[in-house]
Amino acid sequence: MTYALRPGQMPLFDKYGGLSALRGVILDFYDRVLDSDIVGHFFEDVDMPRLIDHQTKFFAMLLGGPAEFAESRLQRAHAHLGVTHAQFDEVAALLRETLEAAGFAPDDCATVIQAVEARRGLIVA
Amino acid sequence: MSIPNFTTELFRAIGVGVALFDAEDESLIYSNPAFAKLFPDAISGVALTSLTEELDQTAVDRALAGETLEIAVKVKRRRVTLQIDVRNASHLERPVLVVECQNISRLRETEAMIDSYASMTERRTRELEREKVQVEKLLLNVMPRSVYEEYKSFGTVTPRLFEPVSVLMLDFVGFTEMAVASDPTETVSELNDLFTAFDRIAELHGCERIKTIGDCYMAVSGLPHSNPDHARLAARCASGFLRYLSHRNKTHRHRWQARIGIASGSVVGSVVGTQKYIYDVFGPAVNCASRLQSQSAPMEITVLEKSAESFGDEFQLGNHRVEDLPGFGKCAITSLELPDAGLVSVA
Repeated sequence: MTYALRPGQMPLFDKYGGLSALRGVILDFYDRVLDSDIVGHFFEDVDMPRLIDHQTKFFAMLLGGPAEFAESRLQRAHAHLGVTHAQFDEVAALLRETLEAAGFAPDDCATVIQAVEARRGLIVA
Repeated sequence: MSIPNFTTELFRAIGVGVALFDAEDESLIYSNPAFAKLFPDAISGVALTSLTEELDQTAVDRALAGETLEIAVKVKRRRVTLQIDVRNASHLERPVLVVECQNISRLRETEAMIDSYASMTERRTRELEREKVQVEKLLLNVMPRSVYEEYKSFGTVTPRLFEPVSVLMLDFVGFTEMAVASDPTETVSELNDLFTAFDRIAELHGCERIKTIGDCYMAVSGLPHSNPDHARLAARCASGFLRYLSHRNKTHRHRWQARIGIASGSVVGSVVGTQKYIYDVFGPAVNCASRLQSQSAPMEITVLEKSAESFGDEFQLGNHRVEDLPGFGKCAITSLELPDAGLVSVA
């Protein structure tokens, strides 16, 4: 789990309806990231299935779905990209916009963004 | 509105990309806005095969033969997947090719997402399955399978009377004084080795290990499934333990000697505790086995004289005596002799 759950608390992934409900949200985020002038180029030559796989796992990881990644793995996967703080901020902002557009409660948005922030040190070069 | 005007309006409004090409030179005659959005370079006169690399003459011929093509084009950063149908038609008696083009990227993206999610959940399921096996293994260590099944189905275990059973209690002689006792790591390793062997021997003789406390090992026969031969099985198990120890002592640095007591009677079996639960049995037979064990000399199996018959002909009796067993008063007790090893108490 990527954030501490209180006893009896449902992971956000389930609270917001699991994959069937989050499908649109994930694809919306995928669109926003690809259209971004700041980070879109990272994904320019990535195969669509790979990119979708990446975004699905990203959401599942942040929202307490069925994916967990060791810190070392996240670090390794981003090491060669040379991600800057500005680029990291852009992805966080796009994610916030996506979640807000999908009607996530402000508290839940904050929880997810917090989970992203917690990984800044692993992602930014 | 005239029919031609209506058709044009319709083409402009629909989301499917539609274009007409001359059937002879395959040059563009008309394209609707949806088509133009997918192929911004498709202006009047452009050849069908020059729209995108994948749509070459072979592909067009295949499409004309009835095949639906699926090709990828790059729109800005995105690879868009298009489904293309090409049909022969005629417009004002002029043979034309009608090219119908649908963006099925969302469909393919959704499929990719479902694949990704399925692989995640499959992996998670495998992990859970592995954990379940571990938990089951652990629980089967502290309770018999039938009790575990009851616990799994109902989340609780009803205390159950087992009657009659035989309780075997084993304790090592002078454990605290043994050199091995001063090294906890070695103690664990030795006891693990011994108790693992005991578990195998117990299983072989239809006995169920109930628990170990320090260097004390307790097993029961006739539980969870009743067995009229429970006393004989416990005696065979006990002699198996002692034979194993004698054999092991010949080659191992640490020499282990045990005292064993066996008593028959009824016991109640139940899971005790809710968080750190343990399966245990209670009853006079448990206490009696413990008292008999303490009456044993090293490598001796002690039983009550009155229950000696139930051990059958394969065991001879020896060392008849009367002892005061705390809680049971004066009791006539005896030792079981093994058929092939003489009196067991002679190590």
